[in-house]
Amino acid sequence: MKVSYLDYILRNRLPVTIFVAVAAFVLTFFASRAERDGVGYTPDQPINFSHKLHAGQMQIDCQYCHISVEKSRFAMVPAVETCMNCHKVARTDSPEIIKLTKYYNEGVALPWKRVHKVPDYAYFDHSVHIDKGIKCESCHGEIKNMNKVGQMNSFTMRNCLSCHRNSHERLPYIEGISKGPEYCYACHR
Amino acid sequence: MPDIRDDEITKGAANNPDPNYWRSFEELHRDQSFINEINKEFKEGASESPDISGISAFSRRKFLALLGASAAFAGTACTNYRDKGEIIPYNKKPAEITIGKANYYASTCNGCSFACGVLIKTREGRPVKIDGNPDHPVSQGKICAQGQASIMGLYDPDRLKSPKSNNNNRFVDISWHDADAEIINELNNVGSKEIALITGNIVSPAENKLIHDFINKYPAAKVYSFEQFNESVRNNAWKKCYGTGEFPLIKWNQAEVVVSLDSDFLGMGANKIENTRLFAERRDVINKKFNRLYVVESNLSLTGMNADYRLKLRPDAQYAFVMAILNELRKRNAIDVSRDTGNFSLENFAGEYNLSKKDLNYLMDDLMNNRGRAIVYAGDQLPVNVHIAVNALNEYLGNSKLYNPDAEKINILPLSTYDELKNLAEKMKAGQVGMVIHYDANPVYNFPVNFNYEELLNNVDIIVSLTQVENESSINGNYILPVHHYLESWGDAKTRNGFYSLRQPVISPLYDTRQKEAILLNWINGEPSSFKETVYHEYLMDYWKTEVYPGLNSKLSFKTLWYGALHDGVVLKNEKVSLSFTFNSSVLADLPSSAINISGFAVHIKESYALKDGRYANNGWLQELPHPVSKVTWDNYAAVSSTTAKKLGLETNDLVEIKISDNSLTIPVLVQPGAADNSITIETGYGRTKAGTVGERVGFNANKLSNISTGLSPWLFTSAEVNKVPGNYKLVLAQTFYDFTQSLKQDLPKKRGIIKEGTVAEYLSNPGFMIHEEEKSKELPSVNPPFPYNKLKWGMSIDLNKCLSCGDCVVACLVENNIPVVGKDQVNVGREMHWLRIDRYYSGTMEDPAVSNQPMLCQQCDQAPCENVCPVLATTHSPDGLNQMIYNRCVGTRYCSNNCPYKVRRFNFFNFRDDFRDGYQESPVFALLQNPEVTVRSRGVMEKCTFCIQRIAEAKADAVREGKELKGSDVTTACKDACSTNAIKFGDINNKEEEFYKYRNHELGYYVLEELNIKPNVTYIAKLRNTHSEEA
Repeated sequence: MKVSYLDYILRNRLPVTIFVAVAAFVLTFFASRAERDGVGYTPDQPINFSHKLHAGQMQIDCQYCHISVEKSRFAMVPAVETCMNCHKVARTDSPEIIKLTKYYNEGVALPWKRVHKVPDYAYFDHSVHIDKGIKCESCHGEIKNMNKVGQMNSFTMRNCLSCHRNSHERLPYIEGISKGPEYCYACHR
Repeated sequence: MPDIRDDEITKGAANNPDPNYWRSFEELHRDQSFINEINKEFKEGASESPDISGISAFSRRKFLALLGASAAFAGTACTNYRDKGEIIPYNKKPAEITIGKANYYASTCNGCSFACGVLIKTREGRPVKIDGNPDHPVSQGKICAQGQASIMGLYDPDRLKSPKSNNNNRFVDISWHDADAEIINELNNVGSKEIALITGNIVSPAENKLIHDFINKYPAAKVYSFEQFNESVRNNAWKKCYGTGEFPLIKWNQAEVVVSLDSDFLGMGANKIENTRLFAERRDVINKKFNRLYVVESNLSLTGMNADYRLKLRPDAQYAFVMAILNELRKRNAIDVSRDTGNFSLENFAGEYNLSKKDLNYLMDDLMNNRGRAIVYAGDQLPVNVHIAVNALNEYLGNSKLYNPDAEKINILPLSTYDELKNLAEKMKAGQVGMVIHYDANPVYNFPVNFNYEELLNNVDIIVSLTQVENESSINGNYILPVHHYLESWGDAKTRNGFYSLRQPVISPLYDTRQKEAILLNWINGEPSSFKETVYHEYLMDYWKTEVYPGLNSKLSFKTLWYGALHDGVVLKNEKVSLSFTFNSSVLADLPSSAINISGFAVHIKESYALKDGRYANNGWLQELPHPVSKVTWDNYAAVSSTTAKKLGLETNDLVEIKISDNSLTIPVLVQPGAADNSITIETGYGRTKAGTVGERVGFNANKLSNISTGLSPWLFTSAEVNKVPGNYKLVLAQTFYDFTQSLKQDLPKKRGIIKEGTVAEYLSNPGFMIHEEEKSKELPSVNPPFPYNKLKWGMSIDLNKCLSCGDCVVACLVENNIPVVGKDQVNVGREMHWLRIDRYYSGTMEDPAVSNQPMLCQQCDQAPCENVCPVLATTHSPDGLNQMIYNRCVGTRYCSNNCPYKVRRFNFFNFRDDFRDGYQESPVFALLQNPEVTVRSRGVMEKCTFCIQRIAEAKADAVREGKELKGSDVTTACKDACSTNAIKFGDINNKEEEFYKYRNHELGYYVLEELNIKPNVTYIAKLRNTHSEEA
């Protein structure tokens, strides 16, 4: 048997191969993490709506549009009708509003690209979080400064739990906030 | 025979041991090259190092390294985010909808003639659950299994989607306009022939007016209303005895003693919801009030299972039995009977039918001692003579006090008599019927066979069927017009004095269908193009404005009242009735003076517990609901007693042929413990030949025996011939029973403490008779460290005194929790997915078993055995005491199920939605049926009762929003909501203020398999049998 050759494999080739493989995995894992978690995902929307303008400069309350955020699991993307409350008169000549008006008049659903998503098996409830006094920005980032909305935080279970476990540190602005539940049925069922 | 081997080999063979085994001719003939070959251990080339010079320099390792590296780089290089799809909001949002929140609408069920009030839960505009309307005076927030499962009918993929007309024996789609135009033309040109409108029972005042409008417009029309199972016999007897009206309602809650004669008043038929509620009020372990139920019946029924004393008697002997009671009471000078009853001696009768004399004696004593507080109640299907005799018996004992004089049933349009139907058949035979309209009715299946209705249809020129799903009556017709489900319809109902109820649509029509009333209305208008979707809505409102509103004497304007009525589902009307009954004792004289001649077998045809008269055949949930007594699913059968089976050489699954004069039926047999000898009970509703994907070719059509001319009543036959025929048919039981003959297994559930029971007398004299202090004080070691449940902790208690084992809770659970139908073959291998089942245990003998029922669901044990064995922590415990099952973590080892002592965990062996009937439940429309708050499980995961965690989560969110502390009474589970007797209580174990606390800590409470020390959170209240104290 070619003992020396086996020796060579075990001492040199194998460690190198393992190193390359592990390094490649680690590199990929961390490098692609943001994409995997969706952090930074800023898709183009069918209508170039600016939160910076509406929520930031004009200071329209989040709940003017996201009406069910404190009542229901879902914050609710507003109906086209809600936009038209103002845009029947405001800026009717702008190309984006013309697009919007067309959707409204034709009664066609407006297919907004989804930015934030928790998996289907997690039953996240907006209302509980809002009713506890947690600000939208704590999860969604500084929406008021975003022209185009992107995902600012990871929406993984790890991230949920880090807040549920350290609510004092993560949400210092709420006095006496208690820890969030950590048992499975709190989110999964 | 010469030896084929040559000499040389023969010599050589001397060295070889005998016998000389050989593997090839080379070996046999000792070929030299072969001998050289076998001397080497390895084949040529096998032991030498391979020559690598010819192989490519690109080694396997290099290849793999390159592959890995390229994959890694490809991964790193990937910069595209995963697409997350779209969010599509409303264009114009309906004001009442909040996404994620349910809306509830009050309406009225139209599953049967009792028109219970329902509350329909809708999510984002689609109905997802039907519950009872708590404001409804009769049903009071409860609804039967059929009512709950009827939501599946709305989303049934088999529903007809557009009108069809028959074109050379092929049905082709046709527009509503053309269909209406052609039918109106036919209606006008029917000439001297009759137009027969065949309908079910009409309970709607507006619909009744509509039908009369139709008759006014087309005078040739005649209405035939028919229900296969009805109370006609009872009402006829009542009219004979009391002259007027219908049989009154009964104050079950005031009866100390109830004697049921072959009546399943707790299980099915007339007023089941109200009967069970009132009856169970007197099975009260808190106030210690108990009634006593005697049941005298042939086959073991749901009512019979709940009896304190049960006597077996073939149904055709009931008349003699009642007369014998009259005779006996007269002999004891308890009553004065106005006619001679001397031919009926109770003693002889008991001897003849082998009835327990002791029990009969108790019955007599109870009847005599509870005058005015006992009720004898005969079954709907018994002959009229029995009912007359029973009316007399109640009258003589003063039990007519229990007839409710303040409430009266209303009969909007009386059912047609059998004579009227016979008349129709004769006219059809003579060709005098030009047109038949099946107004949401299925006479081909439901009419008694002797009418020969299917053949007679050939003599009719035009057959129009208004139906949701094609049926036996529609397939041979000319037009099939698809109608709305009741959740898409308007309507009203009046079943009692004192209130009206309203039906409103809760979803726009899914298909190109029309409300059946609107179709008639359009024919009355005579102008097909004038149709509007709102036409019947307007008609109904007009009717209410002109006919109902004035009578209500309301101070509100009509519009206000109407919207209020729609909101509540009912309008109360101040109509006080006070009925008075005067018994006409002369009817007794007309009764036969001796028992009817009994020979052969008695055959009793009953309505199915699940499918009713067959109208729910296409409902998979109901098909799979186990029969409350036999636990058979997906089939009907002939129930016979063990003695009869032995006599005929029958076993369960054998086939028999039942012959009643000209009619015969071949059907499998089930040996039913507790059935009366020489009598056969068959449930109908099965054996549909055209019902849809689910309902076709399931079971056997017992209507082949129903014949109004050969029976004692349309459902009861005597002198039937029964023969074993060759062959076998597998009946599938969701739960089998122990072999009664094996003493080790006999009464095992009681020995193991699964079932604990006592008697009322025992309890009243010693309320703590079940508590054994020495056992309670023992603190057993446990595998898990104890967890202090100081805060809210969920628990359930099930009162087995009130539980009648009807199965309504099971169906509620199926609807609430998205539980799929798995089909007969899968139930056969024990793979039904029911989270909640009702276990039925027999004890005693095969001939006279006592029955104990027990709803069994996940017990949410504090020390749950399932949790210890899960290798992936998919099932763990929550701080509010729930055993959590997390589907996305489950890898399907099934260890938990193996370790569960209650066997309440269910495994998805398949994606059952896909597996059952070629993906019937995968049909896109079925997705609308699913509860959006509950995960739809797929193949490979375990599931079980969650205590309706979605409802707990919702209540929790509500409490946070309102800034309140969550209380146990804020949450109800689906099974609790459905229980018509309120046997199920749910709440916080630690809250002493709640009603639930009383049940949780009741002295009769026990845990199933308590000795395992797994600390379940479901308490069962032990059943007490109200037998006489001397028997205790």
